[in-house]
Amino acid sequence: MIEFQNLSLVYPNGTEGLKNINVKINEGEFVVIVGLSGAGKSTFIRSINRLVTPTNGALFVEDEDVLQLNGKGLRQLRTKIGMIFQSYNLVKRSTVIKNVISGRLGYTGTLQSILNIFSKEDKLLAYENLKRVNIEEKLYNRADELSGGQQQRVSIARVLTQKPKLILADEPVASLDPPTSHQVMKYLKQINVEDNITTIVNLHFIDMAMEYADRIIGMRAGEVVFDGPVSEVTEKTFEEIYGRSIRDEDRRGGVEDE
Amino acid sequence: MNKHSSYVPKGLYPFKTILIISLSLIVVISFYLISSIRTESFIWHFFVKFPNVIGLIGDFFPPDWSYLEQVWPKLFETIHMAIIATTIAVIISIPFSLLTANNVTTTTWIYQFMRFLLNITRTIPDIILAVVFVGLFGIGAFSGIIALIIFAIGILVKLMSEVIETIDMNPTEAIRASGGNGLQTISFAIVPQVLPQFISFSLYVFEINIRASLVLGLVGAGGIGQLLNKEINFMNYPAVSTIIIIVFAVVVVIDYISGKLREGLV
Amino acid sequence: MSNQPLTLPKKPKSKLKLVKRVIVLIAIVLIYIWTFSNISIRWESIFSVRTLENIDRIIPRFFQPAFEETGSIMEMMIETIFIAYTGSLAAAVIAVPLAFLCASNMVRNKFLNNIGMWILGAVRAFPEIVLAIIFVAAVGPNPFAGVLAIAIGSTGMLGKLYSEVIESIDMNVIETLEASGANKMQILFYGIMPQVLPEFLSYAIYRFEIDVRASSVLGIVGAGGIGTLITFAYMNRNWEEVGMILLVIIITVTIIDQISGFIRKRLV
Repeated sequence: MIEFQNLSLVYPNGTEGLKNINVKINEGEFVVIVGLSGAGKSTFIRSINRLVTPTNGALFVEDEDVLQLNGKGLRQLRTKIGMIFQSYNLVKRSTVIKNVISGRLGYTGTLQSILNIFSKEDKLLAYENLKRVNIEEKLYNRADELSGGQQQRVSIARVLTQKPKLILADEPVASLDPPTSHQVMKYLKQINVEDNITTIVNLHFIDMAMEYADRIIGMRAGEVVFDGPVSEVTEKTFEEIYGRSIRDEDRRGGVEDE
Repeated sequence: MNKHSSYVPKGLYPFKTILIISLSLIVVISFYLISSIRTESFIWHFFVKFPNVIGLIGDFFPPDWSYLEQVWPKLFETIHMAIIATTIAVIISIPFSLLTANNVTTTTWIYQFMRFLLNITRTIPDIILAVVFVGLFGIGAFSGIIALIIFAIGILVKLMSEVIETIDMNPTEAIRASGGNGLQTISFAIVPQVLPQFISFSLYVFEINIRASLVLGLVGAGGIGQLLNKEINFMNYPAVSTIIIIVFAVVVVIDYISGKLREGLV
Repeated sequence: MSNQPLTLPKKPKSKLKLVKRVIVLIAIVLIYIWTFSNISIRWESIFSVRTLENIDRIIPRFFQPAFEETGSIMEMMIETIFIAYTGSLAAAVIAVPLAFLCASNMVRNKFLNNIGMWILGAVRAFPEIVLAIIFVAAVGPNPFAGVLAIAIGSTGMLGKLYSEVIESIDMNVIETLEASGANKMQILFYGIMPQVLPEFLSYAIYRFEIDVRASSVLGIVGAGGIGTLITFAYMNRNWEEVGMILLVIIITVTIIDQISGFIRKRLV
């Protein structure tokens, strides 16, 4: 369970990233955060694994206030939280397997990991997760030989290798074309259902949010302006969140299957 | 070209550009004249003194090939010095270049301090380093190696920190987000991106060290330069030309090999 | 481990690659063995009381620079700058025709390109100090020898960099000029020079930076400049003066680097 209590974040330059957020996210939920760019979606997500540090309030992940964590404690928390990025963030020159196994770093000793010594179990886990996203045949390819969609699938495999309790995805499909976007979202949804991993995804496409989310949180200017199950959401809701009428660019569209 | 009643563009460039260019040309040329006079070196002097050069070639040729036997040991010493110095310099440079890259070292004062240190180090000529270390540790290869190490660190850290500053920082965020610590982030997200260039620069520094160790010998810091210095003082020009030819050949061969290796890397 | 439901597929490794790696590894190990078994370092004299005494004696003097020598040192530093300037300017000019000779899009003759490359490569292989030794023998121990050494040494590097610049220019412009009936000289001045000049200048200034450092060393073999003072100070064990010379070099080189960096930024 994740709980935001009166959480605020002011950046050093004075910009308010988050304003007094109070949200509770239950285990196993698939939450999509929507909002225009600059609305604070990214800050919201990055507060959870403390890639950014909120300035006020409290944020509980599994009954631990992440604001109080530091050093080793923080790294231990992060091993339980997987994160997927818009630009995949793979090391392009390294092989797929090396990228995936880097999900085990939080569990592995520094010296061992620098010398690339991982247990057989870790390697198998990495391979199994590549199979889950159907990309196991690229095991020894370099990451920069893969297409965008393939790279994003590798980064999902990396996250799974962490054995996370929670997955955060920051605009995971913004750099992909419509069919690939649906494919990536399907994998995320499938993992959410099968492994009961709480998943929080930032999106700005309203059709994709409607299709995959259990619950939608709308943000504008650092504030939560909507929070409810997907069944309560209509186009009107999005217009209220965005503060303007819905345009074509707000929809990903495209086929649902490759 | 101009002064007509109707409007005719005055030249192809705006007046300001012409002014700046003419002024810079005047500065460049007058400075050239001053320095030529000061250093008593007009290029035509070269042709005036050309007979000297011809005469000199007579002094230098033919090279004294029997001298070769004395060249080999000192040549190998030069190569050994360069190998040891490059190896140690590479190892020391790794942490220093991380500290001198502003995307890894986000603490401003550490970064600024390292930059300052690097810039100072880079301005010290290798020969002064050698002079100081020969003064401290006496004549021999050891002083030369220490001088080469410091000289090489200056070059390597500059090149490396620039490469590190251009890498893709996104993977480091991913590693941090999955709970990796500082060293793991460096070895998984940074090292793979910079390793080929790092090896390439190390070979490049090795080439530079071979040349530099030649200079160091002139002040007694070991290597073939020491031999060169001795023969120049004895005006034994055939021997000098043997040394020069050997050095030339070695530099060409090493440049070639390391060039090939570097091509294979990138 | 065969009872595991999943096994990791074997990494596909080409035999050739493996053999290559093994050979390289063995070669590296052999080189290091050769190096460390042959290097002659007299450790006992390095870690001796004398070294400690030296450190005690030299270091403090080194950090009490002889400010009273400032005048004469500055004078030699200026001479050093003059040597570097004259040498690099000469090189900047001499390198241009050589660079055109090497550029494969200008001279469409592989043989001539290779000759040009060979000349430049041969020149680059001579360390400046060796060139200085040769020229001191040829024209006597004076700054002129230094200028020649710097000029020749810099030509090697500038020629190579210039030719790379020429090879990267936009050839469509030249085609356009040719189509409009321009002759070779006109193409050179209207089509090629405007494209390459800023980078030529930038490289020449950069080379001047390097030459200031290089020419401060040349005096050791008698080719003029501040290096002459280094030799004297070193022979007399005058560490205060060595310290002062170093201070002057550091300050001068830093200032020149700053100025040249500023100009080069404006150029591009």
